[in-house]
Amino acid sequence: MSLESAVLKKLGQGAPEWLCRRREHAWNVYKNTPLPTTQSEEWRYTDLSQIVDLESLKFLLPGDVDLNGSLPEILEGVLNENRTASGSSFLVDGLTTNIDSEASLSAQGVIFTSLRSAVEDYSDLLEEHLAVEALPPEKGKFEALNAAFWTDGVLLYVPRGVNIKLPFRTVNYLSHAGSAVCTRTLIIAEAGSQVSYVEEIISEDFDEITLASSSLEVIAKEGAQVQFVSIQQSGHGVFCQSAQRTLAHRDSILNTLNVGLGGSVSRVDLNSQLLGSGAKSDMLGIYFGDQNQCFDHNTSQDHVASNSGSDLLYKGALDGSSRAAFRGIIRVHPGAQGTDAYQTNRNLLLSDNARADSLPNLEIEADDVKCSHGATIGQLDKEALFYLLSRGLSRQQAERLVVLGFLGDVMSRLPLGDVVDEVTQAIEQKLLTHA
Amino acid sequence: MPEESTVADWVKVASLDQCLPGNILQVEAGEFTIVLANVAGEVYALEDRCSHQDYPLSDGDLEGSQLECLYHGAKFDICTGRATQLPAIKPVRSFAVEVREQNIFVQI
Amino acid sequence: MPENELIQNLDLDEYKYGFIDQETHVFRTRPGLDEDIVRQISERKEEPQWMLDFRLKALRTYEAKPMPKWGGDLSKLEETLEEIYFYVKPQDQMERSWDDVPENIKNTFERLGIPEAEQKVLAGVGAQYESEMVYHSLKDEWESQGVIFDSIEDGLKNHPELFREHFATVIPPADNKFSALNSAVWSGGSFVYIPRGVHLETPLQAYFRVNQERMGQFERTLIIVEEGAQAHYIEGCTAPVYSTDSFHSGVIEIVLKRDSRFRYTTIQNWSNNMYNLVTQRALVNENATMEWLDGNLGSKLTMKYPSCYLMGEGAHGSIMSIAYASDGQHQDTGGKVVHAAPNTTSSIVSKSISKGHGRSSYRGLCKVYEGSTNARSNVECDALLINDTSRTDTYPYIEIEEKRSTVGHEATVSKVGDEQLFYLKSRGMSEEEAMALIVRGFIEPIAKELPLEYAVELNRLIELEMEGSVG
Repeated sequence: MSLESAVLKKLGQGAPEWLCRRREHAWNVYKNTPLPTTQSEEWRYTDLSQIVDLESLKFLLPGDVDLNGSLPEILEGVLNENRTASGSSFLVDGLTTNIDSEASLSAQGVIFTSLRSAVEDYSDLLEEHLAVEALPPEKGKFEALNAAFWTDGVLLYVPRGVNIKLPFRTVNYLSHAGSAVCTRTLIIAEAGSQVSYVEEIISEDFDEITLASSSLEVIAKEGAQVQFVSIQQSGHGVFCQSAQRTLAHRDSILNTLNVGLGGSVSRVDLNSQLLGSGAKSDMLGIYFGDQNQCFDHNTSQDHVASNSGSDLLYKGALDGSSRAAFRGIIRVHPGAQGTDAYQTNRNLLLSDNARADSLPNLEIEADDVKCSHGATIGQLDKEALFYLLSRGLSRQQAERLVVLGFLGDVMSRLPLGDVVDEVTQAIEQKLLTHA
Repeated sequence: MPEESTVADWVKVASLDQCLPGNILQVEAGEFTIVLANVAGEVYALEDRCSHQDYPLSDGDLEGSQLECLYHGAKFDICTGRATQLPAIKPVRSFAVEVREQNIFVQI
Repeated sequence: MPENELIQNLDLDEYKYGFIDQETHVFRTRPGLDEDIVRQISERKEEPQWMLDFRLKALRTYEAKPMPKWGGDLSKLEETLEEIYFYVKPQDQMERSWDDVPENIKNTFERLGIPEAEQKVLAGVGAQYESEMVYHSLKDEWESQGVIFDSIEDGLKNHPELFREHFATVIPPADNKFSALNSAVWSGGSFVYIPRGVHLETPLQAYFRVNQERMGQFERTLIIVEEGAQAHYIEGCTAPVYSTDSFHSGVIEIVLKRDSRFRYTTIQNWSNNMYNLVTQRALVNENATMEWLDGNLGSKLTMKYPSCYLMGEGAHGSIMSIAYASDGQHQDTGGKVVHAAPNTTSSIVSKSISKGHGRSSYRGLCKVYEGSTNARSNVECDALLINDTSRTDTYPYIEIEEKRSTVGHEATVSKVGDEQLFYLKSRGMSEEEAMALIVRGFIEPIAKELPLEYAVELNRLIELEMEGSVG
């Protein structure tokens, strides 16, 4: 179905009134928000009008997705990897097909469920938090689109003091060329709890532009620790749009890692809100582009409370005629004394036709702060290359190793061992195609 | 001949009376937006996108054989696409033009 | 006394150039701007037709361009522009002997120290009062070697071909709204020509003074540095303190031929009612070196980003800047380097200090075009915050199309460290002295590049401003 209010009606069937109103409102915001152009600072390097015509996409609805067929190979592969997890879920074209978690966790009050069932089972919780607190539709065109048309997603709720060792994992799979799939994730970590969450986006290769829109809301209450990881490995033809907003309350630790490897165009808007004193946020990112891929990261670190810290490190390597844009801003709001905020973006250009743009910004309105940012764009470290060549490696092998070392440096800051291995393998896989 | 299939297409984009001497005209040809310019009876075609910040050149002025971008004053040689005035540095793409029976064709 | 009160008392009464002279212009246009006023300016200057046409076209461009929405707060500027005088002619002719300059203007410049400076080590001195140069002189030894240091109007009159070949080629009127405005109403500024191989050993210096209330000054400077030539040009700017706003919008174009070297130093110390929106750009050819040294201390709002277009192989561009923003001031400054040839190198070093409710912003561009192999660029920005009401921003744009290039940007923001203060106080310094010492140390790498009298002036200013800045 195309983009119209009839879709809203369908999505609203049987839903509580608050949700219908919320979707309706988001739809109105969407209609009244013009498509961002490259004239706007935040979209300077990604020309949406050249990428996607939102009106012509096919918005998949619950009835449109056939879940009875055999699983595609790519998904089978992931399912058979036998990962250790506290819980896992699979979404196919925006609808949950499987979701389960360790029984002992639900006994402790942990909720890990599809958003669709949460609408029935945890309506109050969603009404309080979903698309109002962290990521209301007013945040932008895509945020509004997603809030109006999301079909499913994940709710993860961790009660006070519960400490979960193994990560929760979600695989988001797309199969319909030319479709638009909107999913959402809401993570609420109550005071003193600890949890990690890893999502992957995979798909077939498409010859029509296909939109994977996702919205992420994370709320870490006092002293909670949350680790979020997104690994984007979708196929050719996918426009991966992800809006993420994280709210870190007093003394919480709220870390994110965004790995961008797949898709034709990938856009991540990540806003980290340091709302409580002592809150900390590590923001990591890795991207590796080849062919005509575009990676556009737009990040912001908002220090609202005093004595909070944030540290951002985004590193990317660009091959073929791929492009990367990084726009990051640290905002230290008046009164946020004692802020420690850092921001670094480093790019490696591996080919003559690759291009990188970097805009690391600072806006500081408090004086007792330690803030710095840095950006570099350059070529492979010649000394390291030379050393490896002198040890008998071929140029190709040596270059792969240097790139891997450059990107792997980011992962050394990630505590999840299994995930580090998976990401490293994925990068290695992609590097093999680097001539 | 095998080369035939790789030769770019000639596309009719306008009639000659739509772009009289001293005038410019924006046209579409395949995936390109093109600006035509008629300099003393000779028609030239450049991609309608300034190499400085991608604004349409067809909003600007033709001065002799120079096309000036309205937005930041960059200039291009209409015959070759070469940048002749800062802040532009790179050329813009130029297309071959033919006039056949009062119609303007562009090779894309 | 509480901190805020101390700062308020300090105010900018300390601005020692804020005095007002009696108005004695020989002609001025009515307030505001339209085609008729542009025609009057051109007529007064007895310009050729091409220049009038150029001005009128630029006026249309200016009117068509929207007010910039980025940078500083320009929301009140439109109102200001309706009320200001765009052209005020201070005297009938430009003088070449100091004795012939009218008494009141001479007094002003003497208070600013011009004849003193001239006696020292300058190769030439120019002085602009309101809309025109009132005085220009060049030492004979340089004149005999073919150096030209003249008012821009005399450049057009006396060297029409050289002038027309280069004028507006580096900064076209349509570059931005204010370059268009300047192109329409420009008046005053310098025309400088350094012949092939000539090394000017001492600087040329130009002073700009606005005395008229609600005045717009639009100086236009064109500098041509021939192959292998070297020179240094210094400009200083001051104005009285009025309760109404004034406006200064200059356009400075510099062409450096191959193997030449040029330094352009600005000490901008306008009063705090001045909008200062300036476009400065150098076109740098093969193996030439351009250096911008930019000190922004005064004005209400400055938006100014000196740029180097590195067009020839081996060209080098350097931008060093200091910005100081106190209460009611916003310094939105920085620099642009554009690499368009192989082996080009550039460096930007920016230091800013924000005090009280002041705001300083660094805004910069580093662009490396494809084909600029082995281009190297390095940008360093350091910001110092004095009070918790001060603000600093950093907005660098880094756009790289060439893989065989190396580009780095770093910025830090800090406040004056308590440990440093404590240490210095334990050595018997007052808190103010300690603060001034730390601030001086912070800007020292750039201050040491300034001509001595300006470095002394800068230190004096910092000492004054640091009094009462700590609570």
